[in-house]
Amino acid sequence: MLNVHELENRHKKYKLKSYTPYLIILLSITIALVSISFFTLNYFNSISKSKNEAAEQKEVYTKNLETKSTVEEKSENISVPIEEKKRIEVQKKQEKILLSPSLDFIKSMESQTQMYKKENENFKTTEITEKKMQEAAKKVKEPVKKIQERKEEIVLPKIEEVKESITVAKETSTIDIKRRDEETDIKHVIKRFNVNHSPALSLFIAKKYYQLENYEQAYNYALATNELNNDIEASWIIFSKSLVKLGKKEMAIETLKKYIKHSSSSQAKQLLDEILSGKFK
Amino acid sequence: MKPSIYENSRDVFLDTVNAKDYIQLERISMIYQALKDSIEKPLKMVLLYGKPGTGKSMFLSKLHENISSAQKAYLYKTPILDESEFFKTLAQDLYEIRYDGELNFTQFIKVVENRELIEAIVPVIMLDEAQLYSTSMMEKIRLLSDTRKVKFVIALHKTQKEDIIAKEHFQTRIWESIKLENASSSELKIYIKKKLMKVNCLDTASMFTQKSINLIHKLTDGNYIDTNKLVYTLFDIYHYYAQNNPNKIKGNYISKKIIEMAALHTGLINA
Repeated sequence: MLNVHELENRHKKYKLKSYTPYLIILLSITIALVSISFFTLNYFNSISKSKNEAAEQKEVYTKNLETKSTVEEKSENISVPIEEKKRIEVQKKQEKILLSPSLDFIKSMESQTQMYKKENENFKTTEITEKKMQEAAKKVKEPVKKIQERKEEIVLPKIEEVKESITVAKETSTIDIKRRDEETDIKHVIKRFNVNHSPALSLFIAKKYYQLENYEQAYNYALATNELNNDIEASWIIFSKSLVKLGKKEMAIETLKKYIKHSSSSQAKQLLDEILSGKFK
Repeated sequence: MKPSIYENSRDVFLDTVNAKDYIQLERISMIYQALKDSIEKPLKMVLLYGKPGTGKSMFLSKLHENISSAQKAYLYKTPILDESEFFKTLAQDLYEIRYDGELNFTQFIKVVENRELIEAIVPVIMLDEAQLYSTSMMEKIRLLSDTRKVKFVIALHKTQKEDIIAKEHFQTRIWESIKLENASSSELKIYIKKKLMKVNCLDTASMFTQKSINLIHKLTDGNYIDTNKLVYTLFDIYHYYAQNNPNKIKGNYISKKIIEMAALHTGLINA
């Protein structure tokens, strides 16, 4: 006799058994899909994170550049009002936050500028016209020169720091990048010079070109600086040096002699001696 | 549907070899005609082979029924393995000689050789399941057929046949071999439907769709014996549900579930 009830149970078991491989396949496919999607999501997340980080670094870097350039600009302007100086100080503070390595340098610069401030404030207590300012500046020529020398010292480390920050941001340290940045720096400064015709900027450009052994450009910008302000010692020196390098030794000697007469600069004298003795070629 | 219709349908598929249940299928009827023709030819032996359940027994049964009215024809559905018994049965059937004691091959072949044919018609002996006969017995059967006083139609499984054909002496005989194959899906459909229609179970016959036939064919591989068993169990289950739980057989088609249940019961599916 047929036991249908038992047969039904057997059929249930059979069906379960027949579906098992499909279930296993389905399950394994689902697991595979889930794991694949999980890993791909992780991968894309990490990529976007690194992109964001890179963008942030870039932002910080550009901000740094901007603040630095403004600091340079401000510090180069000797006859700036007190309010502007305060602004510079605020920017310097920002700089402090963003670039910790340049902290010591800023402190030293501050102390130096404070010294200068005291001296400068004396001139500003009375109402001074621009002509008077120049006259006063002539009187305090030596401090001005000192400050300009400092600036020379200041400007160069700053650029080096920028270079460093570039290398950190990009995580590469190739010579090509540095060069490019120097060139772009100069171009940037030239742009600014074209706008405000500051003798400090033209002097900086002249020095930079001299460093890069572009003596013709160095000569041009030193000349421009002298035209704007004929009392900058460093400018005359760069001017003379460029002349020597361009093969116009006699003209350089003549220029230096004239300048020494006018200013009795020790550095100019020293350079003249070197040129005459043939030490400087 | 009444439970009795399932009962009737079920009983059609009782696996019995009965010439009345013979189902005329196109391919099978062609083969049958070839077999019938070969009986009329002056061949000593005819070999009918194929896998189990391909209808060899049914063929012999049908052939026996058809020719026995016209000539002497005897069908041995089960092999007579005892040699003496085999020859005594042959002597009884062919010549109506009754032997009480032993009858060996030498004695019997002498009897056969001395007998004259009635109207030159050679009597036919049909041996089903001939693979069960021993090789020496088969040799003796061959020698008997060599006398041309008796003709043998031997039905055996294909695997066994290959062994026999391998023997050279058997290959030299003038004989015809007919191969039977398993049913195709469409043949199985006709087979099942014709069987049911024969007993006027038209309702159940219409329940078999091509889909259900395909499933049955897949399960039985076109084996007629297995198909009979499966469909028998199938209607048995239907009969049970019709009596006890009619809700389970509401559809107008044979349920896949019940086919599978029947296959489980008959051992066509192992679970």
